[in-house]
Amino acid sequence: MSKSAPTASVLTANRLGDGVVVFLDFQGAWSEVLAAAAVARTPDEVRALQDRGAHDASRNLVVEPAIVEVRETTSGLVPVRYRERVRAAGPTILADVPGYVAPETRERTPHAEAA
Amino acid sequence: MYRYDEFDAEFVRQRVAQFRDQVNRRLSGELSEDEFKPLRLMNGVYLQLHAYMLRIAIPYGTLNSRQMRRLAHIARHYDRGTGHFTTRQNLQFNWPKLVDIPDILEELAEVEMHAIQTSGNCIRNVTADHFAGAADEVADPRPYAEIIRQWSSLHPEFSFLPRKFKVAVTGASRDRAAIQVHDIGLRLKRLGGGLGFAVYVGGGQGRTPILAKLVRDNLPEADLLSYLEAVLRIYNLHGRRDNKYKARIKILVHEIGAAAFAAQVEEEWQRIRDSVLKLPEAEIRRIQAYFAPPAFDTRPHKTSLDASDRDFERWVTRNTCTHRQPGYAIVTISLKPIGGIPGDASAAQMDAVADIAERYSHDEVRVSHEQNLVLPHVRIEHRREVYAALKAARLAEGNAGLATDIIACPGLDYCALANARSIPIAQRLSERLAARQHEIGELKIKISGCINACGHHHVGHIGILGVEKRGEEHYQLLLGGSAAEDSALAAITGPGFGPEGIVDAVEKVVDRYLELRADAAETFLAAYARLGAAPFKEALYAAA
Repeated sequence: MSKSAPTASVLTANRLGDGVVVFLDFQGAWSEVLAAAAVARTPDEVRALQDRGAHDASRNLVVEPAIVEVRETTSGLVPVRYRERVRAAGPTILADVPGYVAPETRERTPHAEAA
Repeated sequence: MYRYDEFDAEFVRQRVAQFRDQVNRRLSGELSEDEFKPLRLMNGVYLQLHAYMLRIAIPYGTLNSRQMRRLAHIARHYDRGTGHFTTRQNLQFNWPKLVDIPDILEELAEVEMHAIQTSGNCIRNVTADHFAGAADEVADPRPYAEIIRQWSSLHPEFSFLPRKFKVAVTGASRDRAAIQVHDIGLRLKRLGGGLGFAVYVGGGQGRTPILAKLVRDNLPEADLLSYLEAVLRIYNLHGRRDNKYKARIKILVHEIGAAAFAAQVEEEWQRIRDSVLKLPEAEIRRIQAYFAPPAFDTRPHKTSLDASDRDFERWVTRNTCTHRQPGYAIVTISLKPIGGIPGDASAAQMDAVADIAERYSHDEVRVSHEQNLVLPHVRIEHRREVYAALKAARLAEGNAGLATDIIACPGLDYCALANARSIPIAQRLSERLAARQHEIGELKIKISGCINACGHHHVGHIGILGVEKRGEEHYQLLLGGSAAEDSALAAITGPGFGPEGIVDAVEKVVDRYLELRADAAETFLAAYARLGAAPFKEALYAAA
């Protein structure tokens, strides 16, 4: 990542129903993928993103909308702060979590404990 | 252990129904996030870095196998297969959906559990010595923790304190409950012909670590609640509400002085001492009856220690302790596999622990503030079977109290407040020190990912504090702390280190300790007390 690359901004939030991290994409939908995020490069564009975040929060789609500073690199968008890089990519230690089941493969079984 | 009466059951059931309605109103938009946030926090629901987090109270860290199995079920059915045991003897799920949380709370209520007062500026889950009822102690502290739990649950006067408030109780002279880093720490003691408490007030970690001060050395048992009420009233009246960072009781006690604080408490206490808060003898004995010792097998025990199995022998040496009942041992189940995540347990492991507890430990499990589990009542001749069952569940690491038995907060991998990751540092240190941990001996390493100090770095023999420096992770190193009866706050060594450098730095400190210790019996903490910080700083910075 080039430290000297100019920074831009994206809009992030957590989805209300499940808390999952999302980013506002080019089509105005909320995506779980940072790479899909709409990028603001001017103060006016940043203000537009902020307005959209406040609007979607008031519509109860997302909570805690916030602007994240990113760098546009050859390998894609990279948040400037390490915190936001972890937030965008997920916990760094999931491979070591005992019994961790990624949501796509999780089985939902009815509770069967004897009374 | 304590069983809900009709009042408890109805109270928790009503609370679940209320929260279900609140969640529905939030999802429909009837409640805004500003309106909903305090309601969810009152029910232990946080919004963390990646998802919601649900913190479940485990009062004084005591569980039965049915409750443990229910936690496993929730992990499997509603979360992602894992639970995380915390430094406050609680359990956290890192991935629950808001829409599922009312169902989770209903499942918890069925086994007499809840998440009430695990957040917010109220009296939090009361913690206790995890060896309670099994260790050498004046009396079991859990009945008193339960009495405090009942008094503090939805206490109308103390539901909106200046800041959160934590109480810990021990009945032993050896402090395993870290009472001096709590807002109130209680140590049971003999008083005349009965029991009483030494009361410590104003301890805590966070950005301003302070050890609690002894404000009353001889509180009679019957006056426990009236005295606590007096302490809370003085705090509620004078605690700083204008500044979140100065709002804990430790700041108040520090600013006005322990003697002046105690005098104000005394005045209030004398006013309310003989009120309805006086604990009736019959009520104390009624609660104590819930914690009566199990029906121990009093036959002479047969030892089964097989010295040819080195791992088993080490596990017995490190992870089992003398029980007050001859023929029994206290077993610590390490949740610190080498290179693993401190405090994490899979649903399958929780089920395995429940099975083992049911069969070999009178159906009891404890959660320790050191992020391990405890089987409090294991017959000595069953150690081999318990070890084999734990080994099958990958829970048989014989490292209790050693360098790989590391406390670490969730850190930046999960926590919205964190500045740096804690877990990967714990993993790398565990891998680095594992081969030498028995040679090193007792060493408590504690890691926090931010100044809030959930990983107890201030009281680590070696403490690590993660900070953010120019957007990147950075770590400060602290030495010489203790959360035990010799409580002490660790001191920062000097300039910090990057994520790789901090592991090397700890190893340098350990190497210098091994080089300078008087003999193998001199622990790191004893050597540090004798030598001071200078030789360790020299090892860390001289070549730089």
